[in-house]
Amino acid sequence: MVINALHILATGLGAAFLTGLLDEKRNGLAFMITLGALAFMSAVSAGWLVLFAATGAHPMDIQTAGTPPPFAIALRMGLAEAALLTLINLAGLFAAMHMGETLLARGRRAMAVLLVMVMALCGLVLTRDLFNLFVFFELIVIATGGLVLLSDDERAVSAGFKYLIVSQFISVLLLVGIVFGYHATGTLNIDGMAEQGSGAFALAFFLILIAVAAELKPFPANGWALDIYESAHPGFAALFSAAAASAALFAFDKVLAIGGAEWLPVATGIGIVSFVAGNLLALPQTNDRRLLGYSSIAQSGLILVAIGQQDILGEHYLFIAGGLLLSHAVAKAGLYWLSGFVAGRELTDWAALRQRPLLVLAFVTGIAMLSGLPPFPGFYAKWELVHLLANEGRLALLGWILFGALVEAGYLFRWFGYAIKRESAHTIDCPPDRVIPVIAALLAGWALGFAWGELSGRSNLLLVLPLLFALAFLLLEWAPAWLKNTLAIGGLSLYFLQTWQDYDPLRLIFLVIFTLGGAIIFLASFHAHGRRIGFYPSAMTMFAGMVLLLQATDSFGFFAAWELLTIGSYFLILRGKESEPHALSYIVFSLGGAFLILAGFAIAAASVVTLAPSGAVSPAPTFEIASLATLAQPVAPWVFLLLAIGFMTKTAAIGLHIWLPGAHAEAETDVSPMVSGVLLKAGLYGLFVLLMSMGRQSLYGVDLVNLMLWIGAITALLGNLMAIFQEDAKRLLAYSSIGQMGYALFGLALMNHLGWLMALMFVINHYVYKSMLFLSVGGVAKRTGTRAMYQMGGLITLMPLSFIATLVGIIAMSGVPPLSGFGGRWIFYNAIMDADTRLPMVLIFLSGPIAFLYLFRLIHTIFLGQLKDEHRRLKEAPLSIVLPQMIYVAILIGVAIFPGLILRRVDAYISQFLPDGALNWEGLTITSQYGWWNPVAIMIVVACIFLLIFGWLLFVNRKAQKVKQFNIVFSAERPYRPETTHFAWNFFAPYKKAMGFLVQPFVTRFWGAITDLLHTAGDLGRRLYNGNGQIYAFHFLIFVVVVFVSQLGM
Amino acid sequence: MVHVVMATGFLLILIGFYGALTHRNLLRMIVAFTVADTGVNVVIVSVGHMRGRSAPILDRAVAAADAVQRIIDPVPQALVLTAIVIGVGVTALMLAYAWRIYRQHRTLDIARLTALKG
Amino acid sequence: MDFDWMKIPYAFLTVFIVVNYGFLMGALIQKIGARAGRRHGIPIWQYYLDVIKNYGLRTSITHGVMFYLGPVFRLSGGVGLLLFMPVIYGSYMFSNFSFAGDLILALYFVFFGTLGMALGAGESGHPHAAIGVTRGLQQVSMAELPFAMAVFSVALQYQTLSITEIVAAQQGGMMNWTLFTNPIAVAAAMLAFLGSMMRPPFDVFIAPQEIPIGPPTEYHSSYLALMQTNRAIFPVAKIVIYMNLFFGGAGSWPELFVKVFFLYLFSAFVGVCFPRFRVEQSIRFFLVWAVPLGVLSIMVV
Repeated sequence: MVINALHILATGLGAAFLTGLLDEKRNGLAFMITLGALAFMSAVSAGWLVLFAATGAHPMDIQTAGTPPPFAIALRMGLAEAALLTLINLAGLFAAMHMGETLLARGRRAMAVLLVMVMALCGLVLTRDLFNLFVFFELIVIATGGLVLLSDDERAVSAGFKYLIVSQFISVLLLVGIVFGYHATGTLNIDGMAEQGSGAFALAFFLILIAVAAELKPFPANGWALDIYESAHPGFAALFSAAAASAALFAFDKVLAIGGAEWLPVATGIGIVSFVAGNLLALPQTNDRRLLGYSSIAQSGLILVAIGQQDILGEHYLFIAGGLLLSHAVAKAGLYWLSGFVAGRELTDWAALRQRPLLVLAFVTGIAMLSGLPPFPGFYAKWELVHLLANEGRLALLGWILFGALVEAGYLFRWFGYAIKRESAHTIDCPPDRVIPVIAALLAGWALGFAWGELSGRSNLLLVLPLLFALAFLLLEWAPAWLKNTLAIGGLSLYFLQTWQDYDPLRLIFLVIFTLGGAIIFLASFHAHGRRIGFYPSAMTMFAGMVLLLQATDSFGFFAAWELLTIGSYFLILRGKESEPHALSYIVFSLGGAFLILAGFAIAAASVVTLAPSGAVSPAPTFEIASLATLAQPVAPWVFLLLAIGFMTKTAAIGLHIWLPGAHAEAETDVSPMVSGVLLKAGLYGLFVLLMSMGRQSLYGVDLVNLMLWIGAITALLGNLMAIFQEDAKRLLAYSSIGQMGYALFGLALMNHLGWLMALMFVINHYVYKSMLFLSVGGVAKRTGTRAMYQMGGLITLMPLSFIATLVGIIAMSGVPPLSGFGGRWIFYNAIMDADTRLPMVLIFLSGPIAFLYLFRLIHTIFLGQLKDEHRRLKEAPLSIVLPQMIYVAILIGVAIFPGLILRRVDAYISQFLPDGALNWEGLTITSQYGWWNPVAIMIVVACIFLLIFGWLLFVNRKAQKVKQFNIVFSAERPYRPETTHFAWNFFAPYKKAMGFLVQPFVTRFWGAITDLLHTAGDLGRRLYNGNGQIYAFHFLIFVVVVFVSQLGM
Repeated sequence: MVHVVMATGFLLILIGFYGALTHRNLLRMIVAFTVADTGVNVVIVSVGHMRGRSAPILDRAVAAADAVQRIIDPVPQALVLTAIVIGVGVTALMLAYAWRIYRQHRTLDIARLTALKG
Repeated sequence: MDFDWMKIPYAFLTVFIVVNYGFLMGALIQKIGARAGRRHGIPIWQYYLDVIKNYGLRTSITHGVMFYLGPVFRLSGGVGLLLFMPVIYGSYMFSNFSFAGDLILALYFVFFGTLGMALGAGESGHPHAAIGVTRGLQQVSMAELPFAMAVFSVALQYQTLSITEIVAAQQGGMMNWTLFTNPIAVAAAMLAFLGSMMRPPFDVFIAPQEIPIGPPTEYHSSYLALMQTNRAIFPVAKIVIYMNLFFGGAGSWPELFVKVFFLYLFSAFVGVCFPRFRVEQSIRFFLVWAVPLGVLSIMVV
């Protein structure tokens, strides 16, 4: 049995009075009463929530004074109200707990004010009476004015006053609006007014609406709110952001119902402007709480957009708006409470959190919730919202939402990067009364994620086995790294064994790389000691995302998996010592790409549905990936474009590549092969899926696949060209990955049988040799303590196994027979014989030999040449790092001799899509329509010739004497210093002279200019807020006028 | 008559707004707001007024039976009472703030309280 | 085409013929070059003397395993290249191991020796070796481009990657040679040819006269002898590719001797006429003159 909702208000009010009656000195008792009251209020609300959620009961009206409206105030309790009340009361409870110390010091009056505040927020949600709404608003104003003063920050006083100034203006407008509304309708009941419509009192309604809107702190009428966010006690700021903003949003929704559909655009307009502007202005912030304030404004704006779009959201309205609202409220409360732990107010001071992994988890949960990442409610809500917008063709709004979300993710993840990478002098102490609220927010976040997953009607991400496996590592953080590593390897292998039969040959190849390939790289992770906190959850989330990507058959599963692997890999990359800026650019590019994919899916969903054979009426917000094939003009090419750019962001096609070198090079030794060898393939998989389902598309007469062909060729050339000028070994490999992905993209875009086979061959080969090279170079870097190649040299005798791995790797990569790279080249030549376009081949022809240049540089400057004095005692890399390399050597040789084992099945599979040009695999010779290739024969002939000549040399030169390092003469001197003798720095100077113009950092400058532009815009925008309370009042009036004029215009 | 009252009320609101926006002294701003509040109250009362009716008090002058025809709408009156109470509360709070600001900063100039911005 | 054991003695025979021809032709070309410079030049058997002397030398040091293997890679590259091609058109005897792969195999196997050599030289620790290697690689990377395009053009023209079929298509008179049927491709390829023959103006990476630079710097005695053997085989093998692709191939050994000789003479002829380019100059040269021809050749074919 649930308790009458009136008791919530009565309890709050009663407890407030009760504390007032207490003795001054009995603060402890007063505090217990406060907590008890808030807990009781929370329990009552939660009871209602359970009731509504369990039974799906209709909302019920609660009459006061025993009379129906309009003669008395009515309250209403429904599902949304119950959820909000639970949120508000719990926020109040935990805020009280968080502020316990302050409240006890300030005494019972402060507690009474807090109780009034929470009670008034509850009232705001419950009431259906307009004047009652006004009263609660004013109570909130007064309570806020009181609670602001709890802060230790002296500036809070002026902030509070600015708030009071603006709220005076607001209350005047509200009151005037209410009274004229009453005059026109004869009732103060919201529902009563709504029945009569606002047509008769449009101006009065406008005043009401704008006054309530102003409580949402819309841009630009929000300077006062920012000052409060910045200076108030974090416990209160949490309440202000989580509870007050949510209640105000709900009030706005109620009031909006009076106006009806014609006023919805006002909400949308105010919302989207606030969302974009709030996020832009947050960009240049350095103060954590102010940044959170801007983010709150932006999030309120987003929810306002959802409110404004309720005409198209239909039955999903509560799911979407509620998901956004609860995500925001929980995350923001958690983050504000967290900020209470951090002593400094700079964003970089959050580095102190690292002392407590649990707090880091809470931090990252908050950020993920705000950014709308899976598995949190914002993710599901965003998915639905975007789809419904696309379905209605509201693409501009959709674009702005995604843009704002990207900016938001940008500054949030930049902040997270600071927390993980910067140093902080402060220490953190964790009194339980402060930890509990944070943990509560953390748990609430995950619980909401679960709930929204259940409500979504799609697969609940938190019930998906691979992700659960990954998250289980969070609970294992106490365990030593070797144990977790063994579990990870076991998990990946087991997953492969359990599922490999379910896949077609193409997916099977990706599955092998994603699972077994990952497991091999994990062997290298045995070198790590200690607990390696954070590594395994991140890595396994990435792998979970990748296997889910392969499993996904519908667009939702695909996108969710895509986001998961992006997040996991981001955390993984961020672990590198110097990787903070690179991880940031990685996540921004990746999320940008992901948003394009989301938009593409949404647009596709809108028209896939209209084509559905059943003639379904209601648009399904998800569709089978395969039905991309059924898309028609004019939508299809746009969808293709969006998806292709999204996927190409992941494969680092030229123009979108600038995140890759840093991200891959700065990552840890075993992470580089994971993100390079394994992760890049996810992008290729996406492109495979895209091209298999959609085929050729053209837009304004431009053949998009042809465009991809050019992009692939240019990427291959420039990636390789940039690689040859790197001094840093891992950067060289990273740029080389760009080039290799260019090749693969090129192969795919050839759109013929052999082109795809070649791309697939690159998928396999690139995984093997790039993982191997990254491990080998990583091992060397670990031993030498540097990645600069010119500081190495002559390591061949000290690290022979690493040398062999590198040697085999570069032979395979350069395509020299007899190793497996040659197969790729051979297929490439056969593929281009069939191609329609010839010009891009020129670039590919050039990039091949250039690859040779950087490969030689890699092996020469590290392993050959002169050994440095400080390296004379180096040992071979640790066994755990060498072992996977040796496995790769074996694989490479195996693939070189028997490429048919894998490829012939795929060859047959590709024939479904592109029947012409399949290879003939009879016997040992592989035959195409133009030529042939016999890997076994090549291997044997080469081996025989080599051994014969080697034997001959041994015979004539059996007594060769090994000489010392400096036993050479050049320029009439005998050298004695390895540094001046080792030729390594600026290795390809002439090339730079001749071709350097091609590798000017145009792209870096372009994206740099874009980010600068955004920062400048944000910086200019924040100058609006000059700190003067009167100016803020002007902002408010200008806001009113602008909204009024634009509403007239509409 | 009603319109004159109502116009007066709006005039007071505008005067109050004007004062609050042009005076930089906190106390003067507070006074301006009370002027605006009064204006609002006047407007409310004028909205509720009906010509030729009496105050909504059920006593000997007005019998309960025919009250609906005889008295003016009581709701705006009730609203005004509440609004006045709230106005007093807010004004008191603002005054407390002003006092506290003065104690802290030794100034009552709103333009100098700009430590928080951007 | 498939393997049978008789191919092994035939292969030895091919190598034997080519080595001898290579020694003699190399000396002859050098003598012609000397005469052009109004010197007397070396005797025609000079290369035999050099090789025998070097194989016989007893001084022998090594800088390490890769150093030791470098010349082995080099010579394997040359011999392999030769043996992966059908040397004489229509002859089973001299088709050697061409069943193992087509034109693409031959083109990529060129790098086998280059790579091994470069690594071996690198281990010597001699900076001039590394400098020579990098210069060579940089120049070749651009010089190969027009050649690759010409090959692509020819493959498109004949719709095959089989060397034998390409030669077959050119039979029946000189006018059927690619030289006349696809002159632009041949022009591009012949410019590339100059770049890969280690003669002026494109020989800065070995700089044979002034300072000892390039991969052979530290190699001596039997190592050098292996490399000299390769110097006899490799250019011939390489010219055989050109001959097969562009000049109608050879139906008999004498035809091969003549064609190879004239092709080799072409590079020598240019070599004595022009001074040497620096590396970036030769890169630009190929980029400006040869690459457009190559692009044109694949566009018009």
